[in-house]
Amino acid sequence: MGKFLSRLLRSKSSGQVAIMAGFLVAMVVAFQMLNPKFLGERNIPILLRQISPFIIAGIGQSYVLLTGNIDLSIGSVIGMSCMASATLMSVKGIDPLLASILAIALSLIVGLANGLLVSSCKLPPFIATLGTMTIARGIAQLVNNGKNTGPITKPLSATDAAQIEAFAQKAQKFASFFYYGKFGPLYYSLFIAIGIWAVFDFILSNTATGRHIYAVGSNAEAARMSGVNVEATVIKAYVISSFCAGIIGLIQCAQSGQGSMNAGTSYELYAVAASVIGGISTLGGQGILIGTVIGASIWAALANGLSLAKVPLALQNIIVGIIVIISVLSDVVIRRRHD
Amino acid sequence: MDDIYKSFSGVHALSGASFSLKPGEVHALLGENGAGKSTLMKILGGDVQRDSGSVLINGVDPGALTPRKAQDIGIALTHQEISLCSDLSVAQNIFLGREPKKYGLLDNRKAVALATEILEGMNLDIDPNSLVRDLKLSRQQMVEIAKALSKDAKCIILDEPTSALATKEIDELFKMIQTLKGQGRGIAYISHRLEELSYIADRVTILRDGKHIETRNYSEFTLNEIISLMVGREITEKYPHVDAPLGDTVLEAINLNAGRLVRNISFKARAGEIVGIAGLVGAGRTELTRAIFGADKKQTGEIKVNGAIASVKSPVDAKQKGIVLVPEDRKRDGLCTKLSIRQNASLPNLDLLGKLGIVVKAREKKLANDTKDALMIKASSIEDDASSLSGGNQQKLVVGKWLARDSKAMIFDEPTRGIDVGAKVEIYNIMNRLKLQGIGIIFVSSEMQEILGMSDRIIVMCDGRITGELSRQEATQEKILDLATQFESKAI
Repeated sequence: MGKFLSRLLRSKSSGQVAIMAGFLVAMVVAFQMLNPKFLGERNIPILLRQISPFIIAGIGQSYVLLTGNIDLSIGSVIGMSCMASATLMSVKGIDPLLASILAIALSLIVGLANGLLVSSCKLPPFIATLGTMTIARGIAQLVNNGKNTGPITKPLSATDAAQIEAFAQKAQKFASFFYYGKFGPLYYSLFIAIGIWAVFDFILSNTATGRHIYAVGSNAEAARMSGVNVEATVIKAYVISSFCAGIIGLIQCAQSGQGSMNAGTSYELYAVAASVIGGISTLGGQGILIGTVIGASIWAALANGLSLAKVPLALQNIIVGIIVIISVLSDVVIRRRHD
Repeated sequence: MDDIYKSFSGVHALSGASFSLKPGEVHALLGENGAGKSTLMKILGGDVQRDSGSVLINGVDPGALTPRKAQDIGIALTHQEISLCSDLSVAQNIFLGREPKKYGLLDNRKAVALATEILEGMNLDIDPNSLVRDLKLSRQQMVEIAKALSKDAKCIILDEPTSALATKEIDELFKMIQTLKGQGRGIAYISHRLEELSYIADRVTILRDGKHIETRNYSEFTLNEIISLMVGREITEKYPHVDAPLGDTVLEAINLNAGRLVRNISFKARAGEIVGIAGLVGAGRTELTRAIFGADKKQTGEIKVNGAIASVKSPVDAKQKGIVLVPEDRKRDGLCTKLSIRQNASLPNLDLLGKLGIVVKAREKKLANDTKDALMIKASSIEDDASSLSGGNQQKLVVGKWLARDSKAMIFDEPTRGIDVGAKVEIYNIMNRLKLQGIGIIFVSSEMQEILGMSDRIIVMCDGRITGELSRQEATQEKILDLATQFESKAI
């Protein structure tokens, strides 16, 4: 932990991260004053569970942003993973574990395609992932013939009551693991998010792959001339982003207990917001993942706190937008001073 | 222009340069790489501001020149690179920013009519409605000149206009220059191709080290005289050349072809030897180093490392085979300036710093500190940004990051460009140390004295080909320049 703190303090992005952490604390205090239920025993676990998918999506997007690219397909991959896993369970009666693995595998294919299109075919990342975004959403609609699925606890393929009962138990376990279950006072989703952060933060700061990601985002040509495989690095970042999106798809499937074709809509933008609020440079090469975690927390806590404070939805949107702009502005100002 | 001085961050580009241009003449401006020709012309065009000296246009001091002001008083500078909008038409390009208007709207008909008039005045058969993208390079250059004429330029500066042209196109350009001359316009002409001068030049000015050396009518010069005036610089600085035992051939290029500027190149570099590659700007030296290193595609040809054929398709391959390149443009190709010294020093060496792709931080720090100490990189900490280093220290870092690896051949492309004298000597010492370790060194430089002072053998390139090879003993500035100007295509 001491090591982690020292790294945080040394990092150039720490200025932005520290400011945003301070902002998060101030925001929490303000919401608490507006409505004492905000930090109530009931709301804290819910709040942390709400934050989790934003953290996961933000981490994926951060990987891509750090290479100097962007991934617009995240939301659609969430929808695709959600629909694929739900269809496998509710229609085919496939074991939830296997269904999850297949849904993630499908997500990784999209990530691979994104990476190949951007790095090998040299398409602009905005356009390439706009294309795969549409395709992935199309697949989400296609897997169950253009309909949302029925409940994952009652597979259509099951014939007798015992079979249904046995499958329902497995499906319950799935729903519990990804959404409803608790460890102590806190929901599992939070631990999934923390686990993903821990793994990907380790990769980013302690492995050659992580360093290559920063190098490619900082100066792809210099990285190439240093013998870095730039294409492979970009592909890895996109695959990781799609992996994160696939996990969120499973969380959403568990949450609603069925597949929804519109699951994950706009998540790619939430993920950009979480990253950017947390100090990840959209130009690549700069930022740390703990910033993304704080950015995601600000994003989710705002939504939760504003609705608890009974702020109308329209106003919530405006406030959130202003905060994104201010945070990027402060980041730009800090970096300018640093240079 | 008289007694012009200009220095860039302490380095003198011009120190007492003079140049004059009369109406209706072609005045050639000659000099070696870095003699200050382009800088002098950029001052006239307003791109660069002079430190001191006087500029008179028609006997009047125009005051501080900006590109806008230079255009207004009739000076047109065409750059070495073409700067047209390739998706706009010829007429649109000619009048870009000054479009003819009618009732506040674009008057396209008038633009085309005016453009046609200008192009006809130049004796050119170009449709003003065609897209610049669809024109040949030489035609694009003419459009640049047409653009200058549309502003009624009296003084036209052509900076190496023929460097990218084929013989036929050069012919066309020269005809046009004669037309412009006939209209009473003055033309300042920069070129490395001395043999062209006989077709167009009326007067010749020679610059050397930013100083004015000689101005005479072309007919009063011989070609040899021009060359000796261009290089007639005395070797004053000492270069720390060392002799090392020569080993086997470590790197060999066989019939290498890559693009227009690497044509049928074969050469060898032995262990413990510095092979200098000399040539004029644009001779293809950088392209050659990039092709060897796998940074650019090779069409044909082979690379041998230690006598065995090595497939080098990318810098990743090159690194594995023991070939490394210190690139010419350190900001663009050499450094990740947003990252720290430590991260830059370790970037090519992460595979040496741990297992399973994990980087052991302690070993990384040691590597970075060792690099910093061995090359005496001046920085308070290895955690400082690479961008915070001075040019010389950045260059040392670009060299230093390769030293942890067991390389067979190291290519240095202009390693001392833009760095101070002290740092230059340190780079020479590093090259010597590597040479003594038995590494084969390929040393590309545009500075004659440096390449003569450091190399054991010098290969001279011109127009993408090797035009000769000189041993350390026989090499002189005159011989190098003679080989470096042996262009294949003679203009008519």
